[in-house]
Amino acid sequence: MVVRRKRRTFQRRKVCRFCVDSELQIDYKDGKTLRYFVTERGKIVPRRISGNCAKHQRVLTTAIKRARQIALLPYTTIHTV
Amino acid sequence: MRKYETFFIIDPDLTEEAYTLAGDKLKGIVSANGGAVLTYVPWGKKKLAYPIKKRNQGLYILMEFGGGPELVAELERNMRLDERVLKFITVKLEDRFDPEKEEVREIVTPSAFEENEETAESEAGAIEEDEAGAEAELAEAEEELDRE
Repeated sequence: MVVRRKRRTFQRRKVCRFCVDSELQIDYKDGKTLRYFVTERGKIVPRRISGNCAKHQRVLTTAIKRARQIALLPYTTIHTV
Repeated sequence: MRKYETFFIIDPDLTEEAYTLAGDKLKGIVSANGGAVLTYVPWGKKKLAYPIKKRNQGLYILMEFGGGPELVAELERNMRLDERVLKFITVKLEDRFDPEKEEVREIVTPSAFEENEETAESEAGAIEEDEAGAEAELAEAEEELDRE
């Protein structure tokens, strides 16, 4: 018998947050907004999960990478040896 | 002429005097190389996402300026040499830029030594509540990713 994974009970239609709200700008200096699009470990959340459109995901990715350079976002969680 | 912005982090342990001096030096480099400083805005002391030069905090400063590519090279060279500057990033904002058209906004240099931390934290907290649902979904997704 094949154990099928439980389907999620609800599936909300995901929409690109930046398309819905034109006020919301993607800026690498705005670490607070960017934080919603990285996981706790600091990885960039893929489009299939965040629901962003391709165009905004591209811009967002660049912004996150820049924010990492200037230490607004972590590259990864800090390890303790 | 192009329009650039440089976002950089200055050592937070500097005295206010030394901090102004460092800022003046960088502004001097811009004007000495045929550029024009448009804005110079301190963003205050912030916690760094990872330690830089063994420091956990930094003073963020945003400087917008007009100038050529040689100016950026010179500015970045100086920032690399300067021990007061922990890190910097330069982004080109516009390819064609006429400084005459843009009114030179007032260059504010208030003390950047006040803590911005508290306000930032409380604001973040407020938004987090709205996003709690989405966050849970993300956490779930992350687990899924890690398994892959």
